[in-house]
Amino acid sequence: MSGVLLDPRVAERVSELGTAELVVGIPSFNNAPTIGHVVRAVAAGLTKHFPGRRAVIVNSDGGSGDGTAEVVAAADFGAPEAILVSHPVDPVYKLVTPYHGMPGKGSALRTIFAIAERLGAHACAVVDSDLRSITPQWIELLLGPQVEHGFDYVAPLYLRHKYDGTITNSIVYPLTRSLYGRDVRQPIGGEFGFSGRLASHYLRRPVWETEVARFGIDIWMTTTAVADGFRVCQSFLGAKIHDPKDPGADLAAMLVQVVSAVFDLMETYHERWATVQGAEAVPLFGFPHGVGLEPVSVNVTRMLGIFAQGVRDLGDPWERALAPGTLSDVAALAAADDRGFCFPDPLWVRVVHDFALAYRRGVLPREQLLRSLVPLYLGRTASFVLATAESRAEEVEAAIQALADEFVRQKADLCDRWR
Amino acid sequence: MLNEVIRTTLVEFGDRVRGFAPNVVAMLVVLLVGTLAAGAVRFALAFLLPRLGVDRFAERSGLGDVARRAGLTRQPSRTISLAAAWVVLAVFFLLAVAALDVRVAVDLVSRAFAWLPHLLVAVALLLAGGLVAGFARRSVLIGAVNAGLPSARLLSSGAHAALFVLFAAMALEEVGLGQRVVLTAFAISFGGVVLALALAFGLAGKEIARESLERLLRRRGPEDEDGLKHL
Repeated sequence: MSGVLLDPRVAERVSELGTAELVVGIPSFNNAPTIGHVVRAVAAGLTKHFPGRRAVIVNSDGGSGDGTAEVVAAADFGAPEAILVSHPVDPVYKLVTPYHGMPGKGSALRTIFAIAERLGAHACAVVDSDLRSITPQWIELLLGPQVEHGFDYVAPLYLRHKYDGTITNSIVYPLTRSLYGRDVRQPIGGEFGFSGRLASHYLRRPVWETEVARFGIDIWMTTTAVADGFRVCQSFLGAKIHDPKDPGADLAAMLVQVVSAVFDLMETYHERWATVQGAEAVPLFGFPHGVGLEPVSVNVTRMLGIFAQGVRDLGDPWERALAPGTLSDVAALAAADDRGFCFPDPLWVRVVHDFALAYRRGVLPREQLLRSLVPLYLGRTASFVLATAESRAEEVEAAIQALADEFVRQKADLCDRWR
Repeated sequence: MLNEVIRTTLVEFGDRVRGFAPNVVAMLVVLLVGTLAAGAVRFALAFLLPRLGVDRFAERSGLGDVARRAGLTRQPSRTISLAAAWVVLAVFFLLAVAALDVRVAVDLVSRAFAWLPHLLVAVALLLAGGLVAGFARRSVLIGAVNAGLPSARLLSSGAHAALFVLFAAMALEEVGLGQRVVLTAFAISFGGVVLALALAFGLAGKEIARESLERLLRRRGPEDEDGLKHL
């Protein structure tokens, strides 16, 4: 067994249920306004697309004070006619459980994995509780690849604006792709599917008392699945619209959390990625389509101002983090005027690799080190925005792929320096 | 009569020299042993510490930075081995002085040994102050740059100076050097600096102060936000 402590009433309910083929988890914390819609969409998806299979929805709640658990408990989805199916269907069961351990999405998912394991689930999925754009088809796309094709992990592929996901596009995606050799385009999406076998594997990894329990669970799940050799695919889910996050959310804190998770995994899986060469596509389910580009306001001047100030003031931390050649090339960029500013791909890759090595060597306290990456990231993002201002979505994607290929090209150098 | 006095004086002097000579010899022996022990300690530490990763630890923790700022340009392991050798030599020197068995020397030695813990605490306070101040300086600098504050260096230097002065005042108080003078001087100068900064910021930089406060206090409107989603 996994050793996860379940609430006694939940453990009893799980015993009553006995087994289930499908489990869909919904981690939540104060999501009363949206979770009802999510639960109904999930139930509809299970009933419509997997009618003959016993399914359980698990809401793993972090102690919401706004009635989230009550909304889930009250959600009514027992009537199949409401979702336009004419054949007999098995009922969908609900479990509402608090989770134990460190507060965070990771702990919530651990409880879901444990319940899935106890129920002997064959296929599982997790969806966020603040989604507004979820449809029943998402459940088919997240569970279908395991049920029908024997995949172990389904990463989401969303329709996104060209300026969305800049940390993903400039660091997480290209670095993960070059390290582990699998082209998972959005490795830190909030929704995903996984097999029961993989849920058990996750439960047995010794990470649940670490930062993974608090944040970084998404990239950890993707990387673990890829690096440990599970069968991985992607499903195109369309646009993802969810409740707006805290507008004051600190970019630096976000960058530190995500990048530290990626760098920690580099340490864990060094033996695996050191031998990987190139990168290959993974199977894609769903029907990708394009997106219209609405104008988005981006304050490039502010970004470049912070980058220039970083060049001026952050000599001490950057000297410790960056190789001398990288540092002098970065410093030379600050001389360019705003319109002609360009942070070239090869230099950005060297910056990211240098920071990964500095993180490993511990040249500075890790949070300070990664916070000092913010001006460089903003410089790179400003350069990307300037370069793609007039570009269509396909051209922007081509630019991201070119960066990803540059990461692959420079991987041998990273491997040499890592030793 | 005169001959007798001179003879007695010389005899007494000879007796005293004979009585005191073992103490002198003991002092010389203790000094010799101390020199050898200090050399051995220095050699052993210079050999062991780098292999135990002390230099790496010092760089990671910022202690190396503190040492360089204090003018100690050697590698931390060499500085530590040299300091340890000097401490050993100083202890043996005090023992050697005590071996003379002179009342003044004995008093000096006992007072020195009583004062030693305070000195060690003061040194530890200075080191901790250097570390904390250095950490704060870098954190404030990075945070201020990320926030786009134009006076990032000034802020970080201010944070560094304030913290280091605080720790230095505590260290001086620990060794008992002008306790009241140090405390009073610290309180007056720290209060004065804070007041001066507040006045300078409020008067000369009132526009910046107003803008900063507005930025902090008002809810961000749509015009302030980038359309970018970083994740």
